[in-house]
Amino acid sequence: MADVARFPGIAEQIRLVAALRWRLLRNSLRRKNNLLDLIGLICAGFFGALFVLGVSFGFYYGASRFTSTARAGWIALLFWGIFLFWQLSPIFLAGFGAGFEFRNLLRFPLSLRAFYLIGLAYGLADFAAIASVCWLAAMTLGVAATTPKVLPAMLVIVALFVLMNVTLERLVSSWLERLLARRRTRELFFALFVLSMVSLQFIAPAVDRYGNAARPWLFLLLPYLSPLPASLAGRAVSAAIGGNLGGVLAGAAGLTFYMFLFSGLLWRRFAAQVRGEELSETPAPVQAIARRKSIEQTEQPEMFRILSPQVAAVLRKEFRYLARNAFAFLMLLVPPLLVLVFTWQFPGRNTAAPDQGISPAFFFPGMMAYLILFLMAPSYNCFAYEGRGIQSYYMAPVRFRAVFLGKNLMLIAVLALEIALCVLVLVFRVGLPSAPIFVSTLAAIVFAVTGQLSIANWSSLSFPRKLEFGQMRGQRQSGMAVLTAFGVQIVLGSITALILFTGRWTGNPWFPAEAFAGLAAAALGGYFASLDALSQLAEKKKETLIEALCR
Amino acid sequence: MPDIAISTDKLTRRFGSLIAVDEIDLQVAAGQFFGFLGPNGAGKSTTIKMLTGLLAPTSGRTELLGLDFASHPVEVKRQIGVVPEGMGLLERLTGTEYLHFVGRMYGLDRATTRQRSEELLDFMQLADRPKTLISDYSHGMQKKLALAAAVIHGPRVLFLDEPFEGVDALAAGALKALLGRMTGRGVTIFLTSHVLEIVERLCSHVAIIHKGRLVAQGSLEELRAGIAGEEGSKTTLEQIFLSIVGQSGAERPQLEELSWLM
Repeated sequence: MADVARFPGIAEQIRLVAALRWRLLRNSLRRKNNLLDLIGLICAGFFGALFVLGVSFGFYYGASRFTSTARAGWIALLFWGIFLFWQLSPIFLAGFGAGFEFRNLLRFPLSLRAFYLIGLAYGLADFAAIASVCWLAAMTLGVAATTPKVLPAMLVIVALFVLMNVTLERLVSSWLERLLARRRTRELFFALFVLSMVSLQFIAPAVDRYGNAARPWLFLLLPYLSPLPASLAGRAVSAAIGGNLGGVLAGAAGLTFYMFLFSGLLWRRFAAQVRGEELSETPAPVQAIARRKSIEQTEQPEMFRILSPQVAAVLRKEFRYLARNAFAFLMLLVPPLLVLVFTWQFPGRNTAAPDQGISPAFFFPGMMAYLILFLMAPSYNCFAYEGRGIQSYYMAPVRFRAVFLGKNLMLIAVLALEIALCVLVLVFRVGLPSAPIFVSTLAAIVFAVTGQLSIANWSSLSFPRKLEFGQMRGQRQSGMAVLTAFGVQIVLGSITALILFTGRWTGNPWFPAEAFAGLAAAALGGYFASLDALSQLAEKKKETLIEALCR
Repeated sequence: MPDIAISTDKLTRRFGSLIAVDEIDLQVAAGQFFGFLGPNGAGKSTTIKMLTGLLAPTSGRTELLGLDFASHPVEVKRQIGVVPEGMGLLERLTGTEYLHFVGRMYGLDRATTRQRSEELLDFMQLADRPKTLISDYSHGMQKKLALAAAVIHGPRVLFLDEPFEGVDALAAGALKALLGRMTGRGVTIFLTSHVLEIVERLCSHVAIIHKGRLVAQGSLEELRAGIAGEEGSKTTLEQIFLSIVGQSGAERPQLEELSWLM
């Protein structure tokens, strides 16, 4: 009979989990070429600490100021700030985690109680939780410095607020984990998340335009926030400052109610996980479908007859990958949305103040440059989503020029569509510039795109980094690929500026168009000339590429 | 002397100071079902990667079907099929789409690609999941698809790295029969597997690699003949393998050390 080891206590298990997270982080830095990551991490840690410290002073000052100027009711605003940061920032910061799934602990013999407590401790180890606790401590000091007698009540309220927040954060994370277990949901969620972030850009123009009209409606909504935890905490502290014990008890009771409510729900979630909740998305066997029908469904019309079979195969595969990457697909909406946002900042041709509008002569080329900057970025790591499939290219009897041609054609098709959409938005909102500027811009686009493609292809081979569809955690481009893209865009931007300046200086409005057309032709020649060299480089770099993408 | 399908000359691969494959000289005749064996970390997958162009050798050369790989990579790849270690599938395609992609990459016309894809998917029992992405396939289904992709262009040499791992018994039986028929038609199959019974049943010739060096090569009969004594002819491949790779007393795990488990 095998020996059975002494079962560790909960404190010991929490310590083990903390040590595990630290080891995971440390080991992730042991990989080759991760020096930049380490430097980035140290910088992030330093600036994170500065941020927490700086904001702590803000909370200290705010709390003491509200207390000393008899505006204790405003303390609720501080609680709201902390509440929103604590609940929302873990979603924003998910990409910088050490890549540890809390559920993995379930393989060990943990009781539900131990799993629950470790879960809470795990939640308290997040950056958002640590920062929030620091800010709450600063608030407590700020209030106590002005009104020392409030300290005991403040400590109780803050403790309840911390427990409620950590429970809610774990509950939300746990539900998100269940929701995001399915690939399609995960991708859609991620894409909607990014789109909502982009949509935040609309807030400023919307406030400018509709702010005054919306204000009464907002004030009508405020009372509905009062039963929520942050308002309850603020009111309880305010009551303590005013010596109203009943108010303190009511606030504390409300927070306790929320804490127990969230604890109960979290307990149910964790219980489901401990029981072995199935999150797998491997489909159950389905009934056989008539084969003929299935093949017909996948038939595609022959759209790429003029291309070689290999280039056409890569191009078709790229289109399929785009259509199945809900994130990338929805991201195609971002450029026209951004153009709309920017045009909203300035009066367009349909507003009553056309004199204050920016000139299309500047706006059109500027907007196109911005779009190129945005849309070309993924091409600097164009194998990111291939995963193990990269081996298919190396096993097949093709040179990499066919692979690059297929991928680049796909990018150009997307770029053409996006630019056409954006031009339509611009025509509607701002209007088109003069013919020389319009033609110059189009020629500059051809130059900038083809000029970048060769270098982007080189960067894709030299600095590959695997990315997963629709995942936020650990999704970072290679630092060198980002630097390369940045450098190339600065160089191209400088050349463009020089040509535009020369055109203006010589007084010849068609000079930039002619110059960009010449450069575009040269860039196109350079692009085709580079393909063979890139094919050879792909052979030399195959180990790096396969290792990076098959990891 | 039969035609040589695979031939290596002092094929070597170093990773820093580690010599993963050390000057191996392989000779595989055309039409042979060839088993390539070795303990974990011996250099099997590294060798297959070098033979199929997925990894460049540090030194030495490889010839496939009489063509030097380094100077004729495209011509060689056109005639070989590979199921690599990680299968190398494009997981965001469906099985049908992937086979169409591979067929076209090997230069097959659309009609042939379509017909062969249908037949292969039927044979591999994958035709009932037309809309399922490869990423949602089980491991065994992915393996079957990788096998289908490796043969869609009718290769003359087939490299299989653990081809039956995760494949159900029914499909494995059909696959073994298919592979047997392929060798009958002159196709050379180079197979690695840790399941020695499979290798013994399928392969006519075997090579064993240990710590990067080729320690044995020949037909099963020749290897059996190398075992001393009258029992040599009855020796199983497992016994041959153990006698050649031969863990000495010092290397062999001592069960006594795990007394707490027993």
